[in-house]
Amino acid sequence: MGNSKSFFEFEAVVSSWDILLKGFAVAMFAATLATALAIILGLVVALMRLSTVAIYRWIAFAFTQFFRGVPLYVLLVWVYFGLAIAVNINLSAILAGVVTLALLNAGYLSETFRSGILAIDSGQIEAGLALGLSKQVVFKEIVLPQAFRIVIPPMGNQYVDAIKDSAILSIIGVPELMRESQQLANLYYQPFEFYTCAGLLYLIAVVLVSRGTNKLEKRFYTHSAQN
Amino acid sequence: MMSNSNYKFDWNVIEKYWPEILKGLIITIQISLAGMAFSILLGICLANGKLSNNLLIVRISSSITELFRSIPLFVLLFWIYYGFSLKFNFALTEFEAGVLALGITGGAYMAEVFRAGLLAVPIGQLEAAYAIGLSKMQSSMFIIFPQAIRIIIPPMVNIYIGLLKGATIVSVIGVSDMIYVARYVSLETFAPFELYSLVGIIFISLTLSISGFVYLLERKLGRSKVDG
Repeated sequence: MGNSKSFFEFEAVVSSWDILLKGFAVAMFAATLATALAIILGLVVALMRLSTVAIYRWIAFAFTQFFRGVPLYVLLVWVYFGLAIAVNINLSAILAGVVTLALLNAGYLSETFRSGILAIDSGQIEAGLALGLSKQVVFKEIVLPQAFRIVIPPMGNQYVDAIKDSAILSIIGVPELMRESQQLANLYYQPFEFYTCAGLLYLIAVVLVSRGTNKLEKRFYTHSAQN
Repeated sequence: MMSNSNYKFDWNVIEKYWPEILKGLIITIQISLAGMAFSILLGICLANGKLSNNLLIVRISSSITELFRSIPLFVLLFWIYYGFSLKFNFALTEFEAGVLALGITGGAYMAEVFRAGLLAVPIGQLEAAYAIGLSKMQSSMFIIFPQAIRIIIPPMVNIYIGLLKGATIVSVIGVSDMIYVARYVSLETFAPFELYSLVGIIFISLTLSISGFVYLLERKLGRSKVDG
């Protein structure tokens, strides 16, 4: 059918470049905001799991189990098409998407943070306490900075996962890269070209974030070596 | 907030439609299992490629692994089902496209698991196997593989959980899985909350029981034996 022209036709992709880039920006914004929220929430949940109060531990455990067990697509559909209709709240697609993504990632990150904190040698805490520092100061100044270094690589992985998962937000109509690609692919009837381009853009984002994480990790290690 | 909602909760729809939802679940499980089988095959090929003596094969396998791990499953699914099949006139059913997308993504993760598992078996085991006169084939089948499998199984089941969760998105290309059925039924009954809740609960119980199983398995197999 389209054999009169060349096999791959990327003119349409090039001419819609600004729309695609805008979609890409929305995807990155959603993934970044969701990861930032997930880091805060994940840390809170991790601390609750390490708490001496049993009820906090139970809530945190249930949170982690729930959000690690449920698929993003199922939760997204439940929140956006189920919950929002049932309790009659007007939820914007981007808000529903970011919150859902953040909750799922917080479930994973809380486990990461917990194991990072537990990995700190107890001698460090004992030494801090022996020096006369308060429990809070020991935690903030001794445990957290060391735990942070440990969790940089898994945190980077989680960010990468959030970027990849953000493509699913297209099903509730968030105007991110995949949504725009779908619409343009239908408009020009060139799914191969547009989805290839979308795949490449995600690939670039993922590779850049992984590189960045590696650099950050190395910098933290050399800093600690110098001390 | 609930008071000014016009939504009428009707939990009877669950009683009426759960057999259909369950039918959808079976399709989800089928697609994820088929995707897993594909992942294992691809993972074995890529892991062997990464451990090859030929530098070119190592490079190619590593690049393929990186590429497949970096493309979102959702994009891959659309690329295969709408893009690739149209461009190359390669007719695929929705089910086949779903299996391919899951298999490719899972395979890239499996490659790492297999590689780590094979590398974790001490080299002395292989040397000992050669020394008592076993062939290369025999030593990998009877000496290396049984030891590597202990290390491989727990992360493998975790990858399966990932694929099971990933398999939920195939409804977007029209596979009649659980979500597809729930959406379809909720158009008739207008009870999306109840139906999607049911889907969510089924899913969570499924993934939690599998990960509980992994936890027990990890304790039973215990890495200590291989680590020495």
